Amino acid sequence: MPQFFLNKRLIILLVSIIVLVALIGFSLRERSNLTWPEQFLKDTTGWVQSLVSKPAHYLAGFFENLQDLQNTYEENKELKSRVEKIASLEAEVQELKKDNKDLREVLDETRTLRDFEPLPATVIGRNPDRWHEMIIIDKGKSNGIKKNMAVVTSSGLIGKVKSVTQFSSTVQLLSAMDPKNRISAVIQGETEVFGFVQGFDDKQKLLLVKAIPSGAKIEKDQAVITSGLGGVFPKGLTIGKVVEVKPDQYGLNQTALVKPGADFYDIENVIVIKRLMTQPEEGALKDGKEQEL
Amino acid sequence: MKKFLLPLLFLFLFIFESIVIQFWPGGSFESRILAPRFLFAALAFLTIYVGKKQGIIYAAIFGLLFDVVYVEVIGIYLFLYPFICYLITKLMQVINTNIIVAFLVSMLAIALLEVGVYELNFLIHVTSMSFIDFVNLRLYPTLILNAIFLVVAAYPFKRWFEKHAEVLKEE
Repeated sequence: MPQFFLNKRLIILLVSIIVLVALIGFSLRERSNLTWPEQFLKDTTGWVQSLVSKPAHYLAGFFENLQDLQNTYEENKELKSRVEKIASLEAEVQELKKDNKDLREVLDETRTLRDFEPLPATVIGRNPDRWHEMIIIDKGKSNGIKKNMAVVTSSGLIGKVKSVTQFSSTVQLLSAMDPKNRISAVIQGETEVFGFVQGFDDKQKLLLVKAIPSGAKIEKDQAVITSGLGGVFPKGLTIGKVVEVKPDQYGLNQTALVKPGADFYDIENVIVIKRLMTQPEEGALKDGKEQEL
Repeated sequence: MKKFLLPLLFLFLFIFESIVIQFWPGGSFESRILAPRFLFAALAFLTIYVGKKQGIIYAAIFGLLFDVVYVEVIGIYLFLYPFICYLITKLMQVINTNIIVAFLVSMLAIALLEVGVYELNFLIHVTSMSFIDFVNLRLYPTLILNAIFLVVAAYPFKRWFEKHAEVLKEE
């Protein structure tokens, strides 16, 4: 069929499908850095975005303030009752902290998995297609941000740094489905139970903590925090609270459904967490496909 | 000066989409997912009113920008934006242009884009949503959101692009 090969449009379509597959394959493979044209484009748009997003934040803040004014009275009452508790809690925390420090000095073990350095950042963009849940923040390589750092808001862990450019970086939220990354977590209780945060239930808006041993007893409302054992995240970042536990597909393990502590929408300011404890080398983390954080 | 206005409009829509999502109140509309496709709606209007060449070039440029900046998987929008714009030009050869037809055609284009992006994401394991869930939770709400946007923006788009087409003809 000579006509078949002469059909220009068909050939263009076929060639573009081949290019499409090649490009998708290229960008899906494990890469430690973006290519420089990508970095350049991201930095340029990041600059424009930060110009636009600042007034937008002001405007949104103004309307939020108006809303806040409406129920000030009730909030005030509730907060007052809490303040009293906080004073006594603070004293207790101080004492425990000092105790802890002293004991550590005795043991000669001053560094812990909990130590981290916070780097505040502002959100300047978010992926509008909502398949790949990602936000863009206004701090990058020049501010000391590196790939795979944990990102939190005041109420808990929201994700990890996916890629960095010179002046901005992209954060992948926990609500994104990425089978390649799992976060080592602890469910706090009388005995600590370990598991992996792996996946997100889109319909119920709950995180899935998998690979929990089937004998472990877990109750509703137990807190889930990062364990720091993966080697990248520090210990003690809040992830959420257990809502439900069910046996997994084959009945060998359990899966806990966890309500995330942080709201994945309406994020304005985030904190990037730099772990101070020594980290394994980059190469050691990649065993081909999966990463444990 | 006027030459730069058109790219600026698209750049504005490109950033506006992300800002809309950023300030989207969480928890509203239960678990339905609404994705703004304002940029693509404008690209569809550009293809209908100005022409094939312009439409496909703009679609390719902003598709690439979208891929690099927001998605980090190059190829999805770079392929789908121009491809659907091309389909629009084929369709517009058969039917006459008026504003209601343009509105319906761009809604159809947005639906095609959503389905296309879903299928590609399903292939590369970005999502595990079933097709029924996708239609109920994503497609209908997204179409409604974009229909509301287009009802407001269709007339200004039409005026602007028709003027732009005239300027192009004179040159």
